[in-house]
Amino acid sequence: MKKIVLLLLLTITFSGCEKDDICAEETTPRLVLEFYDISNPSNLKNVLNLKVTGEGQTELGTYNGVNKVELPLDITNDITKYSLILNSASSTGANEDFLQFNYTRQNVFVSRACGYKTIFELNATPNGVIKTDSTSPDGFWIQDINIVTTNIETENETHIKIYF
Amino acid sequence: MKHISKFTFSIALVLLSFIGNAQDTSVSEKPKEKSTIKKDSIPVKKERYGLRVGVDLFKLTRSFYETDYRGLELVGDYRLTRRHYLAAEIGNENKTVDDDQVNFTTKGTYIKVGFDFNSFQNWGNMENIISVGLRYGVSSFSQKLNSYQIYNPNPYFGESPVIISGENFDGLSAQWIEVVAGMKAEIFNNVFVGFSFRLNRLISQKIPNNFDNLYIPGFNRTYDGAFGVGFNYTVSYFIPLYKATVKAKKSRNNRSKGEQKETKEESKKKDKRK
Repeated sequence: MKKIVLLLLLTITFSGCEKDDICAEETTPRLVLEFYDISNPSNLKNVLNLKVTGEGQTELGTYNGVNKVELPLDITNDITKYSLILNSASSTGANEDFLQFNYTRQNVFVSRACGYKTIFELNATPNGVIKTDSTSPDGFWIQDINIVTTNIETENETHIKIYF
Repeated sequence: MKHISKFTFSIALVLLSFIGNAQDTSVSEKPKEKSTIKKDSIPVKKERYGLRVGVDLFKLTRSFYETDYRGLELVGDYRLTRRHYLAAEIGNENKTVDDDQVNFTTKGTYIKVGFDFNSFQNWGNMENIISVGLRYGVSSFSQKLNSYQIYNPNPYFGESPVIISGENFDGLSAQWIEVVAGMKAEIFNNVFVGFSFRLNRLISQKIPNNFDNLYIPGFNRTYDGAFGVGFNYTVSYFIPLYKATVKAKKSRNNRSKGEQKETKEESKKKDKRK
């Protein structure tokens, strides 16, 4: 009888937390940028104090010594604009470029726990990614942009290569 | 909170039925023992065969205390042999599920057909049942996605808003197998109270485009995409149709089946020798 009560108690305690209640699948992906050397295009190049800020937002982060940056896209708009400041720590050497991503969105069902995710498709070139200089022109530090894939469905691949 | 009250309610029902059953047996056992002693000379025992129809009180009561649930289930079984019952359930459900990420309404009708095997050895004229059984279930239903939320692990541009959808998915269906364990006890003349637990396994289903069957009428919530559990608490009425005699030999036959086989084989061998 004691065993039965114990078993009942155990089932009650564990009935609340099922695997189905935890979202474990990959959901809304970020845009993955990878940085390459313009003088040697097959080589990855680390960024130096790259300050990334979304339009109208506080700073996303400052990246140093990495060659890959993931940017969240706005899931309520078809446009997301980012400011990328290279050498942001230096008062004279800092260079700001803007990248504007234009895309279409699609909401896809994932599971009970995750609900839906948004996947993106960048508009056809040249409108998918638009590069603009900062308001006080300081020239472009981004030399070239190569869109690897317009389908942004997973973070496991690079979507855009940036050469500088 | 809703789940807790649901749980305590069903547990209370189950426990109550145990009490009812216990009292039932203790009261009715003694006089029957006496009667068998007195009427020792009765040569045959007769058992009643017939149709039992009833309703699931669990679904019925849930319809009252749960605002986003409407359900009705009618149950029935027909005694085929001494131990086998042809059993069926037919029902209709309308349930709105409010999960963290999705809110949807499922509406539909289902039917389950199968059999129960009574493993309970009754005393005297008692007709109680402790059974295991199988069912094949079919459901035809529709889903309405009321609202949903985008899961965004990186909400840099703000929390994702709840999106009102209202999209309808019609003409959906599902088929499944249920393993049933249950009991029924006669509380008054011909009136039975019982409950059953069910484990369900989906065989096939028609999944809506860009959504899933998270709830299926009759099958209940889908776990891991293919599994489900069920419970019902029934009150039913037994309509006796005919009586059949129980052969006294039968029990003896069962016991000596092995011996009989041996003797058959032996006799065959003997024939060959001849």
